[in-house]
Amino acid sequence: MTLLQVRGLKAGYGPLKVLEGIDLEVGEGEIVVMLGANGAGKTTTLRALSGVIPRTGTVEFAGADISKASPESIVRSGVAQVPQGRGTFPELSVDDNMHAGAYPRRDSSAAIKTDIGKWYDVFPRLADRRHQRAGSLSGGEQQMLAIARALMSRPTLLLCDEPSLGLAPLITQELFKVLERLNKEEGLAVLLVEQNANLAMHIASRVYLLETGRIVASGSAAELSADDSIRKAYLGF
Amino acid sequence: MSRKLHVTIRSGGPASWVIRLLTAAFVVLIVLWVPTRASDSLIDTATTALVWMAAAMSLNLLVGYAGQLSLGHSAFLGIGVYTTAIGVTRWGWSPLWTMPVGFAVAFVVGVLVSLPALRIKGVYLALVTLSLALVFPQFIKWPKIEWLTKGASGIDQVSYKFSKDNPTFELFGWNPWGNLRGQNVKPFYYWMAVLVVVFVYLVCRGVVKSRMGRSLVAIRDNSTAAAVMGVNLAVTKGVVFGLSAAMCALPGSLLAMKTGTVTPDTAMLTVSGSIVMLVIMVVGGAGSLWGPILGAAAYELIAEKTGEWNEADQIPGFLQPVLGWSEMPPSTGIFAVVLIALMFFAPYGIVGLWRKQIARVVTVVPRPAGTANLPAEGSAPAGS
Amino acid sequence: MELFLQRLVDGLSEGSIYALIALGLVIIFRGTGHLNFAQGEMALFCAYCVYQFGEWGIPMIPALLMGMVIGFFIGALTEVALVRPVSKRSPFAVFIVTIGVFQFLNWLDSAIWGGQQLPSSAIGSKQRTYPSLFPNDPDDFVTVFGAAIKISSLCIFCMVLVITALLFVVFNYTKLGLAMRAVASNADSAKLVGIKVSQVLMVSWGIAAAIGALGGVAFAGIITTVNTGLMFTVFLYGSAAATLGGFDSPGGAVIGGLTIGVVQNMVAGYADEWVGTSMKVAVSFLVILVVLLVRPSGLFGTAKVERV
Repeated sequence: MTLLQVRGLKAGYGPLKVLEGIDLEVGEGEIVVMLGANGAGKTTTLRALSGVIPRTGTVEFAGADISKASPESIVRSGVAQVPQGRGTFPELSVDDNMHAGAYPRRDSSAAIKTDIGKWYDVFPRLADRRHQRAGSLSGGEQQMLAIARALMSRPTLLLCDEPSLGLAPLITQELFKVLERLNKEEGLAVLLVEQNANLAMHIASRVYLLETGRIVASGSAAELSADDSIRKAYLGF
Repeated sequence: MSRKLHVTIRSGGPASWVIRLLTAAFVVLIVLWVPTRASDSLIDTATTALVWMAAAMSLNLLVGYAGQLSLGHSAFLGIGVYTTAIGVTRWGWSPLWTMPVGFAVAFVVGVLVSLPALRIKGVYLALVTLSLALVFPQFIKWPKIEWLTKGASGIDQVSYKFSKDNPTFELFGWNPWGNLRGQNVKPFYYWMAVLVVVFVYLVCRGVVKSRMGRSLVAIRDNSTAAAVMGVNLAVTKGVVFGLSAAMCALPGSLLAMKTGTVTPDTAMLTVSGSIVMLVIMVVGGAGSLWGPILGAAAYELIAEKTGEWNEADQIPGFLQPVLGWSEMPPSTGIFAVVLIALMFFAPYGIVGLWRKQIARVVTVVPRPAGTANLPAEGSAPAGS
Repeated sequence: MELFLQRLVDGLSEGSIYALIALGLVIIFRGTGHLNFAQGEMALFCAYCVYQFGEWGIPMIPALLMGMVIGFFIGALTEVALVRPVSKRSPFAVFIVTIGVFQFLNWLDSAIWGGQQLPSSAIGSKQRTYPSLFPNDPDDFVTVFGAAIKISSLCIFCMVLVITALLFVVFNYTKLGLAMRAVASNADSAKLVGIKVSQVLMVSWGIAAAIGALGGVAFAGIITTVNTGLMFTVFLYGSAAATLGGFDSPGGAVIGGLTIGVVQNMVAGYADEWVGTSMKVAVSFLVILVVLLVRPSGLFGTAKVERV
């Protein structure tokens, strides 16, 4: 069943149009990867989906139209974003970052504490540093914190903006393993935006190729890597 | 739909020169008209406007171009005022010759102020300069230097003393200098103010169009990047602070000899003077050479007009219901509203508004570098 | 010793007022990175309102609360209607807008209540004073170690401590505080985790102005009158306090305010001969200049790393 359905999404910054009408789908429990070069509009797509920039087109999430919704109600409906460049709250402690992630939730603080404990089990290094300022964490730890913080809102769809950016390959691998595990164990759907094609293709069930604001190809990971021209142009092997 | 009129002008081409000459002629005409044909009170207003122009221009060099927010320029103005006052009354200098002295003193103080500015940025710098504006009048009133500054009572008889021997200058029957023998000296100070404004304008223009001007803009837009690219922050900031302060002392000197009496609590020498300069600069257009000039003219006009509405029945009819109840003259309130409205509708001031309107009908094509003497038409490189 | 204690307490109570203004400035600066030049004038307007309520026969405490509510609305309205639309353009434009608000409010005060001091002592034979929050008659003092300390000074100092503690709790242990800190730290990410950034900013400005209103009323109570020039110097000292403590540190603002109040009273008390009343100002700003040269972001502020 489709979880997220996007038709003709257009967005940009003021006079600058970045997205020229994008169609995409994310099914329940799927990991979908969107590949594209710098400036293709990957980040803009995610920002438009989260509602932080003005956009047109239809966005349906779990059967409800969220194309006009405000960022906070989108988060509340179950879409969480991990911003690019580890957008943590550097002056806040790791614990406070996690609490901030749970901001839209209206359930008891005990339930929130349980969740924090649960994600600390998944990311044990965060638990060790829970009273440290997020800004003092290493790049990989901050990226983990950003993911854990997004998970605190109990999303059904996680939008990940280039989590591998600026990280060592080993740490990136570790991160992707965690994403895969969350997908399998929790049934979390993931829309992953990446430049790092090789790694991302391994965990993807489907792949979109984005070029200057348009989807130019889509299909399963196997299909796309089988196509010679696409492989040479985008995947580089 | 009718096509709108649209003109393309080549920068440095004949059309551009015609426009420049026309503008210059217009400005000269106004400058000549005021002392010869206008009333005494208008000459006075114009002189005040010129004083503000020079002050705001010097502030603009620092704030508009170098991006260093200063609320302390009233102190530099005050340095000019007091250098002239002390020089004239204590040591008997000619008022004119106190100007370079005030210039030099303010330059030194400006460079000193630039030292903390090397480490302090943004809001902190604004407050450090604000404290300068605050301390200055208090310093003048400090008992320890009262022997020099005469404290809160102030200094008087600073003006030029004209005698019957002073020359008069006549041209085709009228006398643009004013009647010095008859003690109508208003046009005289007017012309001194014009000279100061021209001088400050030329200095600002020289700095802005030079390599240093580009360094300033680089510092404003990203000081770290500027430093990395090889702009010497310490020297550049020091020089621009010093220059800005020094030029601000000139209108100060002028103010001292024009009013003849100086006291430390004059509004212009306190923080509110700094705020007025800032407002003038913003209203005219920060970071443009003509901004402060237009801003000061507009400021004086509004201040003069609304200043007349002292009694409720002097307020024009259509404003009666809005302002008639006020216990105070409405000029400050009106100016505050104008200021806020400007930030909404013309964030780059009068100059910005003007450029936007002009850009609708005229496109200025910049001259490519190094092609100043090539023929204007058909000079596209062949075979490219 | 008695004199020292007396000056200390006087300094602390004066510093408390500065601290309240500084707290407001810091709350706004953390949220939006702007310096609210109108902070003092917002407080002054509220102080005038409280005076007016008093004239209408409303008791002090409800009048004060109403004044703070008015302050909240002025602050929130300024943010929503004036600051937010302009802040997209440049921080400089916002600064100019707050200067405009400053001028407008100051004019509004004089337009409504006139330029003279209120309550005017000329009416009737009995000397009337601005309603004081705490007992402030000449015989309201306690004796500690032989020093006569005014009750109102002590009370104002304690009030500021209570407010600071209250703010500390709000900042660190409530959802609103968490949201405010998150917005201050990274507004973009705050939006992405579902915090209504615009609401948080509006509330921040409101709280700042309400705290300022408290400061304005308390200060008018100390000097027993209110006039249009009342809050400008207080604002300057408040901003000096925020500079000293660091513009992003509420605790620093309070410590900065108290320090400036005490330094000023000590200097005026002990070095009066040499410094004189007029240069009192210079001394506190000199202290700040030295502090800034050593720590460019204030005593407790955090230095931001710049990226090119």
